[in-house]
Amino acid sequence: MTAEPPAAPPAPAGPPLHVRPARDADVAAIVPLLLRLKRLNEEFDPLLKVREDADARAGEILRAQVADPKAVLLVAEGAGNDRDKVVGFVRAIVRERPFYVPQQEGVIVDIYLLPLYRRRSAGEYLLAEASRALKAKGAGVVTAEFPAQNEIAGRFYAKRGFRPMTAIHARPL
Amino acid sequence: MAESAPAPTPAARLPRRRVSRSEAAADRLREGQTEALGQRAVELARFYAGKVETVPKVPVRSLHDFSLWYTPGIAEVSRAIHRDPDLAFELTGRWNTVAIVTDGSRVLGLGDIGPRAALPVMEGKALLFKFLGGVDAVPLPVQVGSPDAFLSAVESIAPAFGGVNLEDIASPKCFGILEELSQRLEIPVWHDDQLGTAAATVAGLVNALTVTGRDVREIRTVLLGAGAANLATARLLLALGQSPERLSLVDQHGILDAERDDVDELSIRHPWKYRLALKTNGGGRTGGLAEAVAGADVIVAASTPVPGTLRPEHVRAMAPQGIVFALANPVPEIWPEVARAAGAAVVATGRSDFPNQVNNSLVFPAVFRGVLDARARAMPDEIVLAAARELARGAERKGLSPHHILPTMEEAEVFPHVAAAVASQAVALGIARRRHSHDEFLERARQLMARPARLVRALARARLTEPMPRAPAKPRRFRA
Repeated sequence: MTAEPPAAPPAPAGPPLHVRPARDADVAAIVPLLLRLKRLNEEFDPLLKVREDADARAGEILRAQVADPKAVLLVAEGAGNDRDKVVGFVRAIVRERPFYVPQQEGVIVDIYLLPLYRRRSAGEYLLAEASRALKAKGAGVVTAEFPAQNEIAGRFYAKRGFRPMTAIHARPL
Repeated sequence: MAESAPAPTPAARLPRRRVSRSEAAADRLREGQTEALGQRAVELARFYAGKVETVPKVPVRSLHDFSLWYTPGIAEVSRAIHRDPDLAFELTGRWNTVAIVTDGSRVLGLGDIGPRAALPVMEGKALLFKFLGGVDAVPLPVQVGSPDAFLSAVESIAPAFGGVNLEDIASPKCFGILEELSQRLEIPVWHDDQLGTAAATVAGLVNALTVTGRDVREIRTVLLGAGAANLATARLLLALGQSPERLSLVDQHGILDAERDDVDELSIRHPWKYRLALKTNGGGRTGGLAEAVAGADVIVAASTPVPGTLRPEHVRAMAPQGIVFALANPVPEIWPEVARAAGAAVVATGRSDFPNQVNNSLVFPAVFRGVLDARARAMPDEIVLAAARELARGAERKGLSPHHILPTMEEAEVFPHVAAAVASQAVALGIARRRHSHDEFLERARQLMARPARLVRALARARLTEPMPRAPAKPRRFRA
């Protein structure tokens, strides 16, 4: 995945989104979205079963991410009646690659949009904004993590120039 | 149509106990009748041991004729089809033969009883195909382990058939199977539990809207149950002009809405329902049936065969002159008299013993007659809508009323018109292998659809079919 991240497309024509870096005050609104995503991941693999304390952990992790200069946490706000409402987010980190070039990898860990805001290029717009933020932090490649069985996510990324690079295989111990 | 809840009707103020008591008695009577029919069906199944058989359609004057019907003469027919595969529709019975394919995963209201137990139902369907549509139908319950295996099975038998009727396949896999087979095959594919029910429902609704002076573009509609029939009904209604914002679906988890907690899961497990969750229920109503029906013009219930699933208070909460379709079989979600007493202007059920029966048999024989006569390559929604509209016109020709929004099965003159409308639509869409005029299709359909009744009478007169035994039936005597 050495290709340049795609150029930011125009803001979607459907319900317009406003994407900006998350603040501490946004964490409470992001937590339920993050948990929805994790519960969806649970559908794909029992090894992705959501912990009982996930709710509490989510708040801590997101707050730490807001303060972390190597992390990207963006929120998408809606429009009209949903103005100022967080309708999606993307969480990413910049990871060091000691043996490869590019040396910095921007990893999209979580990306989620409320169903009403999907399609109409909204996800693409959010992904492009995240890629731009990761590039600004030094990432030369952008990767995305998602459950292997999530074919919809696989198609979403493939349509935007992503391809499988490394694979993670698991078995319970 | 008005969004506000109507004032209670005089009928709604009837003493509740009186209604319940008569209802309980009616329930017991109907249950007894259903049980008696079941016992009789088993006796007759034992007596006749099957409902259809293969009968030659060519003369066999002597065994020498087989050199034409079979080898060596037949080889030349095969060569011709090998050179031009579409000749199979001219030189063999493919033009008039459909496969009735099921995996037995959702048979009637019986659930997943498997392909063997599904066979009597498929045989019955084959009889209906022949008797009502003049279509030769082959019952084909298949033992498969996955939807992919089912697809492969149907794909592998398709060369013998002019169409495929999918039957009694569980939801939601039935949606993917229909979509995929429609893509892969060059013949029409129909899933009766989706399209047959939806087409009959839409035909009835078109006339119910006329009877109550409504415009489809303005109605608020609630679909109770989000299974095969209602998801197809939703799609057809939207194609007719129903506003998606004014359409709500209600399933076991409540009103289907983009904000519902299980919507992410639906995107993976049930994308057909997911797509409707995103586009319907404008205004984001939340809650269950009670919240959904407030101010609704139309309720189409295709859910659980339990009376009381729809209650009088649900009907009372609708806009005045509500339209209620209670389609669960054998027991509708609300009895018609109860719905009417609560203020419904038009009530339809799936049963023949009440007015306005929404019956797949009004649709599928004529639809297949039409697509087979046109040698159609596919079954797009435009064809289904053409059938629904023509069915509605058929009822209209006899005069519309709250008790007559659909033709009855006795109004058989309607069905060739439906077939001709379907065939003409196939021609208009450019998917017909055979292009005739509407009148030619109509005349052909009349002939082909009238023939089976003559055949059945002739077989009975010649004692080639056994007369119906009086109950209790005795074992059938062997006839050479």
